[in-house]
Amino acid sequence: MTLQVTGVSLSFGGIKAVSDISFTVHPGQIVALIGPNGAGKTSLINSIAGSYVPEAGTIQWKEHRLEGRAPHTIVSYGVSRTFQNVATLHDLTVLDLVKLGVGPKLAANPALTLLGWSSVRGQEQHFRQTLTTEVLTPLGLADQADQPIQTLSYGSRKIVDLARALASRPSLLLLDEPVAGLSASEAQHVASTIHGIREKFGTTVLMVEHKMDVVMGISDRIVVMASGKKIFEGLPAEVQRDQEVRRVYLGETQ
Amino acid sequence: MKRYLPYLLFIAALAITPFLDRFVQSLVYNFAIAAMAALAVNIMIGFAGQITFAAGALIGVGAYAGGLLGNAGLDVVSLLGAGLVTAAISVFIGLPALRLRGLYFAMSTLAAQFILEYLFKNVDPVTNGLSGLLIEPPKFFGIAIDTEFRTAIAALILLLLVWLACRNLTQSQLGRAFLVMRESEIVAKGMGINVPQTKFWCFALTGFLMGIAGAMLGFSTHIANPEAFGISLSVDYVAMMIIGGLGSLTGSLIGAAFITLMPEIIQRIGEHLHLGSRIFAVREIIFGALIMLFLIFEPRGIVALFSSLKGNNQTPGASTAK
Amino acid sequence: MISMQLAVAGIAIGSVYALIALGIVLIYKASGVVNFAQGGYVMCGAYVTYALLQAGLSPFIAIPLGILLLGLLGSATEYFVLRPMLRAPVVAVMMVTLGILITMRGVVLFFYGSDTQPFPRVFPTGLMSFGGVMITSNYLIAATASVLLVVAFIIFYQRTTLGLMQRASADNNKAALAIGIHVSNQINLAWFLSSALAGFGGILLATLNGVHDSLADIGLIAFPVIVLGGLSSLGGALLAGILLGLLESFTNGMLAPTLEMWLRAHTKIYSVGAIQQVIPYAVLVLVLFGRPQGIFGKRGAERV
Repeated sequence: MTLQVTGVSLSFGGIKAVSDISFTVHPGQIVALIGPNGAGKTSLINSIAGSYVPEAGTIQWKEHRLEGRAPHTIVSYGVSRTFQNVATLHDLTVLDLVKLGVGPKLAANPALTLLGWSSVRGQEQHFRQTLTTEVLTPLGLADQADQPIQTLSYGSRKIVDLARALASRPSLLLLDEPVAGLSASEAQHVASTIHGIREKFGTTVLMVEHKMDVVMGISDRIVVMASGKKIFEGLPAEVQRDQEVRRVYLGETQ
Repeated sequence: MKRYLPYLLFIAALAITPFLDRFVQSLVYNFAIAAMAALAVNIMIGFAGQITFAAGALIGVGAYAGGLLGNAGLDVVSLLGAGLVTAAISVFIGLPALRLRGLYFAMSTLAAQFILEYLFKNVDPVTNGLSGLLIEPPKFFGIAIDTEFRTAIAALILLLLVWLACRNLTQSQLGRAFLVMRESEIVAKGMGINVPQTKFWCFALTGFLMGIAGAMLGFSTHIANPEAFGISLSVDYVAMMIIGGLGSLTGSLIGAAFITLMPEIIQRIGEHLHLGSRIFAVREIIFGALIMLFLIFEPRGIVALFSSLKGNNQTPGASTAK
Repeated sequence: MISMQLAVAGIAIGSVYALIALGIVLIYKASGVVNFAQGGYVMCGAYVTYALLQAGLSPFIAIPLGILLLGLLGSATEYFVLRPMLRAPVVAVMMVTLGILITMRGVVLFFYGSDTQPFPRVFPTGLMSFGGVMITSNYLIAATASVLLVVAFIIFYQRTTLGLMQRASADNNKAALAIGIHVSNQINLAWFLSSALAGFGGILLATLNGVHDSLADIGLIAFPVIVLGGLSSLGGALLAGILLGLLESFTNGMLAPTLEMWLRAHTKIYSVGAIQQVIPYAVLVLVLFGRPQGIFGKRGAERV
């Protein structure tokens, strides 16, 4: 249940987005990835989730090598992610999207879907019940289950995206700025939910986040990136003390 | 109540059909066949976001396959066979889509449309070339489908089955994956949806349904003629969806009804205006103008017009695919 | 010698394809819209000029006036149909151009029916011989005019201030706005130019084969050209147009008879039909499989 990133590099058209990054996330830890804009944090998350293929380095999760794998394969290893910018998904309700998070396997044979034997009624009803109790209610979304996503506020949509990621009961959760754009109370709620999930299921969490109070509040360790490189790794308290981090990231001058 | 409405409509249609004159019965089956194909095309374009210009040719494949199998004396199996053959060809056409997106995929379906049309015209030993393949009235479960009445009933029953299949599909995990894929393949991949596999099933299932619609079309006209399955048929189906409502099953039915009835209405009016051979031109003008007007002013089609009349703005089925 | 003959015919028809494809590329570059109606403008160009000539105007007035009117039709389309759809998804915009095409064809059929109208003789006819290669003079004029126009256009686009403004608004419309370029005027201009080019192409084709509503179909043939050439490359459109013209001509003149003989000997198929018309699409499919960005196109990067 350990995520081990070793020497990962990635570049776009000659610009190094991520260069030789290594770190380890131990089972059940919440690790935050921080750094200024353009530091390569999202690119790194995308590499772990399979959206990008790193040019060098390895990404090991449990007994699986993730680099270069298709995203849906990585999902099947118990990894799920959220997005920095949530897509406006027309026509889908909150529950629809969360159901999708469960994974594709539930749809038996798609050809039989046409006949309706396996999919509809029974299974859908079962979905609704389990997802409502396990995911929607804890996140405070139960009342909005049947609302189209496009009618929700930006903040709520981000929480729905988190709910979708949780629906598959992942053992590794990759969060890309989970509280960006949320109100203070929403952010607090999401932060405590993430913490709660870890406490309850022992989920390993890697998150990119800018809001320092959230990062300091729930992370076990922090990795600081700047210009694609890792410049520091340590406990939250150590990060706060480090001169270099303060200069690069917190924008302080001596 | 609302849940049973489709079934009530279906039973009403079955009950009325025997009392209609033969011409109106032929409108009934023309509608039912158009509706089946429109449902399939809407799943492909409106739900899964795969823009296809090959619908006309795929319906043609269904007509030829159904005709050949029916002529060979196969009972209702000829319908299933036509579905399977068309599904296979639909998947084959879709192969480039496993790598391509959007416009380029649309281009490859355009190419497929023309290549299939060419094959219909020229592979004489199979299709009987330009003179067309004559199709004998088939038998379904031993009953010869040889009158307008029987054809109408058979087409209505098939429409109900196809509609149920599409409804099941759109409410399943696969149907939801279609919707996400339509909005953004990148997001769909990121969520862990196996996009190539989802596309595969999209092409296979919609191809199967288009094949069945095509076979029924061939059985109703008693001929599969290459001219009938040209690009203009593909365009008709795209138009049907825009007018009816992209991404809405009800919209497909409305669009099919509209496209079946409009020429008749123009014809009736035209008799007074002495349009003569210009009726086709008038149909094209109205058609084109409606496509433009709907896309500019109500991109969600007639379905949305209905629901906004009822003051209900939460119609499932926005056409806002990217 | 036959191959020279075929080559000349291929270049002639290919250069007209290039002319029409160029118009599609132009609009695509300016606004990201794929114009399915391009063939409609070709057809309208032929009919409008035909009507002007019927009205008794001399070709020297009718042809430039026809091209100008087509340009204005393109401008008007952009203003009344495309501009209200600025925020609509790309797919809807593509579909709307399909609606334009259907309407145009309906209007033409309404007024002229589906009979071929003979286009009045505007260019001198007769055969010319170049070192043994025979070519009808109107073919030669059509080919020369299209090639010159395409090349002139590329020079305009690359070298003049207006061309620079077109390119700037195509590359980055926000940046173009910021430096004071009126982007929507540039898009309108692109439609004007593109339709005028199509209108000119329509006149050329009409001089070769008469006026018929099937002239609109050439818009569909232009798509293999632009995919082969890469959607946003003007030079690519020219090369790909000529390449496909050659392919079509050689298929017609050499491959088809050979294939037909083989088929007659070995199968029950007696004719290959209009195989030259599907060859571009077969090439299109192969190109899409092997190199989706086109032969001359550049690959774009995706971001999550």
